[in-house]
Amino acid sequence: MASRFWTQGGDSDTEEEEQENSEYEDGSDAEQPAGDNAGATARSRYLRDQASDSDDSDGQHRVIKSARDKRFDEMASTVDQMKNAMKINDWVSLQESFEKINKQLEKVVRVTESVKVPNLYIKALVMLEDFLAQALANKDAKKKMSSSNAKALNSMKQKLKKNNKQYEELIAKYREKPESEDEGAEDEDEDEDEESEAEEDPSKIVMSDEENDDEDDEDEDDRDEEGGGAWQRKTSKKDKLMDKQFMKDPSEITWDIVNKKLKEIVAARGKKGTGRVEQVEQLTFLTRVAKTPAQKLEILFSAISSQFDINPSLLGHMPINVWKKCVGNMLLVLDILEQYPNIVVDDMVEPEENETQKGADYNGTVRVWGNLVAFLERLDSEFFKSLQCIDPYTREYVERLRDEPLFFVIAQNVQDYLERIGDFKAASKVALRRLELVYYKPQEVYDAMRNLAEQTGTEEGLEDGDESEEKQSIEENRGPPVFISIPELVPRKPTFPESSRTLVDALVSHIYSYGDERTKARAMLCDIYHHAIFDEFSIARDLLLMSHLQDGIQLMDISSQILFNRVMAQLGLCAFRAGLIQEAHGCLFELYQGGRVKELLAQGFSQNRYHEKTPEQEKAERRRQMPYHMHINLELLEATHLISAMLLEVPNMAAAAYDPKRKPISKTFRRLLEVNERHTFVGPPENVRDHVMAATRALSKGDCHKAFGVISSLDIWKLLRNRESVLEMVKSKIKEEALRTYLFAYSSCYDTLSLEQLTSMFDLSKAHVHSIVSKMMVMEELQASWDQPTKCIVFHNLEQTRLQSLLFQMADKLIILAENNERAFEARTGGGIEGLPPKRREGMDYATSGASNRWQDNYVSGASQGRQGGGYGGRLGYGGRTGGSAQAGGGFQRDHSGHGSRGAGGYYGGTGRTSYHASALRGAQVEGSAGMVNLSRAGRI
Amino acid sequence: MANTMPRSFLQAAATSEEVAPPLRVVQIEGLAVLKIIKHCNEFLPSLVTGQLLGLDVGSVLEVTNCFPFPIREEDEEIEADGANYQLEMMRCLREVNVDNNTVGWYQSTLMGSFQTVELIETFMNYQENIRRCVCIVYDPSRSAQGVLALKALKLTDSFMDLYRNNNFTGEKLREKNLSWVDIFEEIPIKVSNSALASAFMTELEPELPVKQCDYDRLKLSTAPYMERNLEFLIDCMEDLSAEQNKFQYYYRNLSRQQAQQQTWLQKRRVENMARKAAGEEPLPEEDPANPIFKPILEPSRVDSYLITNQISNYCNQINGVATQSFNRLYLMKALHED
Repeated sequence: MASRFWTQGGDSDTEEEEQENSEYEDGSDAEQPAGDNAGATARSRYLRDQASDSDDSDGQHRVIKSARDKRFDEMASTVDQMKNAMKINDWVSLQESFEKINKQLEKVVRVTESVKVPNLYIKALVMLEDFLAQALANKDAKKKMSSSNAKALNSMKQKLKKNNKQYEELIAKYREKPESEDEGAEDEDEDEDEESEAEEDPSKIVMSDEENDDEDDEDEDDRDEEGGGAWQRKTSKKDKLMDKQFMKDPSEITWDIVNKKLKEIVAARGKKGTGRVEQVEQLTFLTRVAKTPAQKLEILFSAISSQFDINPSLLGHMPINVWKKCVGNMLLVLDILEQYPNIVVDDMVEPEENETQKGADYNGTVRVWGNLVAFLERLDSEFFKSLQCIDPYTREYVERLRDEPLFFVIAQNVQDYLERIGDFKAASKVALRRLELVYYKPQEVYDAMRNLAEQTGTEEGLEDGDESEEKQSIEENRGPPVFISIPELVPRKPTFPESSRTLVDALVSHIYSYGDERTKARAMLCDIYHHAIFDEFSIARDLLLMSHLQDGIQLMDISSQILFNRVMAQLGLCAFRAGLIQEAHGCLFELYQGGRVKELLAQGFSQNRYHEKTPEQEKAERRRQMPYHMHINLELLEATHLISAMLLEVPNMAAAAYDPKRKPISKTFRRLLEVNERHTFVGPPENVRDHVMAATRALSKGDCHKAFGVISSLDIWKLLRNRESVLEMVKSKIKEEALRTYLFAYSSCYDTLSLEQLTSMFDLSKAHVHSIVSKMMVMEELQASWDQPTKCIVFHNLEQTRLQSLLFQMADKLIILAENNERAFEARTGGGIEGLPPKRREGMDYATSGASNRWQDNYVSGASQGRQGGGYGGRLGYGGRTGGSAQAGGGFQRDHSGHGSRGAGGYYGGTGRTSYHASALRGAQVEGSAGMVNLSRAGRI
Repeated sequence: MANTMPRSFLQAAATSEEVAPPLRVVQIEGLAVLKIIKHCNEFLPSLVTGQLLGLDVGSVLEVTNCFPFPIREEDEEIEADGANYQLEMMRCLREVNVDNNTVGWYQSTLMGSFQTVELIETFMNYQENIRRCVCIVYDPSRSAQGVLALKALKLTDSFMDLYRNNNFTGEKLREKNLSWVDIFEEIPIKVSNSALASAFMTELEPELPVKQCDYDRLKLSTAPYMERNLEFLIDCMEDLSAEQNKFQYYYRNLSRQQAQQQTWLQKRRVENMARKAAGEEPLPEEDPANPIFKPILEPSRVDSYLITNQISNYCNQINGVATQSFNRLYLMKALHED
């Protein structure tokens, strides 16, 4: 006896259920032990109580009664109609009645709130079936039928077949003992109730393998009652039947049955009324009964894709437990692939119908439809999305972050597998996914992740052991044993090399050799980012310039552009840490030009006063956001940008005080300064911007000590790894620039100035002052010369006389006059005089492109300067975050985008300008990154 | 040049000659010159005017005396007072038997910026009453450099005709062959003194060959003067550009209007053809009621002419000053070398 077979070694709870199963399966089997019977009745009583409890709590008991009667009456009358139709052999009306009775069945089931089907209905079905068989057997009569009648007969035949499959069991039972029909309807109902409740158990237990069995029942019940609909009931009933079908006779389960069931489930996918969760459960169950590894693989694939289906919306993320299960499935898939290397996963060709029938011992290749990379990428994006959605200030976020190694394992395994089968192209895609998890992690974070992976690896090993034991026990007890048991072949623990650099290098070199264009570009960006984090500015810069990424970045997708912006930001930070102020400013100023840093880095939204976003745009933007742990600290970024702008702009302003034609280096900075100067009273600095402005005021007076005091009081410096050296660098830079500013501003007040005076004023060494001043002299910024014996600077005042300036004005006027005359002449002759205006324009262009060489010069000079190490990070602790490091306050993130489109930075020249304007049409994100492209392009000229 | 152009009063007084009927020479008494200079210098920052009295003898206009006008203010009453003052003054002068014929007026100027519409207006006023009248312009700033900066001006007859009709279109100007040079006519000035006065002056003349004005002439610093001149020049250039713009605007409008007229005419002609075919009277080809046929007023060229004159004046001055400065500098160089 089958039930016996299953009961061995089970605990009492499951035993009970099995007993019940056998009870209704064998019907009047008298050999049942009395104790078991008692247990069964006790249980059913309990269940009954429970049912009435729920009824009571609903408070609908009485109503239901009457409604129930009514429904039964209706059904009975329909059955009468059917009988009449049978008498006259009218298949058309019979068909109508059949549909009617099906609808009524739904109602009855809903009213009685039970899963069982009324006997009346079963009786009708049996009657119909018999009549149908009779009609089909009688071929003569069939020929005689009218066409509509024959048609109805045929459709009836199919419908009935389909319909009856659900109730096969009941029908069989009914046929065995039709006398039960004579019993009272109520009793019958209750019997059925018991049975159905009992029936549900195995499937439920199958569904939830982690939960405790005892709780499980109730939980499930609750859920069912909440879900409440007849539909759910029905489907779960269906499952049950299916399960039972398999359980009844495990040896009889054939490949065909499983395949058919799989097809059925897959066909139901995406249809209305198909429970997504249930589908997953069904498929999970099916995986266990799969006959061949290939079939198991196939089922696993459908299980995974239906797991992806669970979250219907594009915005929300997949439930985390589902994600984890999905990861488990993926690992299982990999195990299978590992064990049976003859199985090939392919999504290009449609596999043959019975391909999966080939057993484990089959030697040829077996093709299974599926795409591992697609699944992996989906998993990754679900992980990403979940991090986007979860509030970063909660424990949940950290928990979720801990799942990262989990993904890493699969990615690693998938990559290994793909490389083994020689699909390097796909492997490079996977490698990119891995790279994108690693590239932004400084060494500390990377180490934390490694430790975590090792820890959880061991822990999980334990857990896994428990779980697998549990699972096994469950499997042994309840379901059929897993036909295809796969040992855990692929490693369940990610392996990380010692330093993240090695890992990144390995991944990147793989991608460079096999990836497609986009993958390569992204890998390159990640590589640059990683170099920048590790303070290897020159390498990162060389990579960026060699790859020519800036040329085409505006043609790439938005997420790559965001990555590019992030890279530029990180590069700027890196340059700043290394003391390369000019480069830092060059990298950062484009980001700050439009006042939309947050948007450009996808780290939040900026409100635009002038332009309302459509909800679609907003949604799209939300989807692009970076998860919190990947953020670049905006305050640090802003401070870096403003300080480097200050160091460049203040001497420039002092030099150009009387010359309106000198171009500002940083328009953004100038604007901020103007706003700041408009204030009547200046309070103590509060945010980054205030600090820098206060420092600027001090610096423009040449007061380097005060300026540095203000800057060093910023608390963002604690985010830097080597804070001391960076501050030291900032200090010396401030001193230098203060000296330069002082000389620019006040040189006209001096005839001579002694070196000692300067060294004492700015606390710089003599050699340093000497070199700075000499450089200024050479650059003709300072009209002075050294008087070596006395160590004095002798200033030569070479201001133009009034007459000279008047002559310049006069020349301007004459130009205007001449132009006007030309124009008048043109109007007269009707043709333009070519030559002069273009020539003039050309001349202007020379001027600008001359300026654009600066960036390059500075690179060259910057490379020779010793780079100081520096790093930021360590703020994303894996084992618990160190509290919210203050995010860039929205207070000073005021919107300046009104002025934003004032044109690309004039400083770096007009070469990139056309591209800027061309791409300005390409929407917000594009605009920013296109703008950023300019600087480096100008640099390469 | 530095030696020939500026002449001392005595030299000027010494050589007097007779000139033919159309006004050739303005012969001015030393007394009048001195009075003008005194008046103008005393009120230096502000510009002053005064009346010239004298006789019109054939081609020579003798200026024998002058009297200053009180400083004019922008008030009606005082304006009337000014007229009264003038009449009273004339009467008084007649009583002491001085020439009391008005022959023109004198005025001080700054850097030669006298070519204005107001000057022309005043000229027209005087011309109505006195057939021959001159304006003597004295430039104190230039005199400070050791030159007697006196200029006698009169309007040319052809310009006067045009101005009376207020007809300064390009066409007319071309017709009359009048260019900007032909607005003013400068008349040579002769300073004459009575023999008695000359004799007295000779008596007074000191032994030293070098006089104050010679010292002035040798001043090396010319920058302020040049600067001022340039400034004025720049202003003038601006005005000229504005005038140019006016003309450009005019021409643009004109061409647009002509295009409109053409299209209108074409339409009308087609219409007329149709009418002819239908046997109707053709419509006139010109429709004065139509706004597109309203002629656009051509801007007057007086202003641009005056500005051009002014500019040329400045340029001459700068040229002159620059030449003199160079002379002096070379002189200095030579002296240093010795």
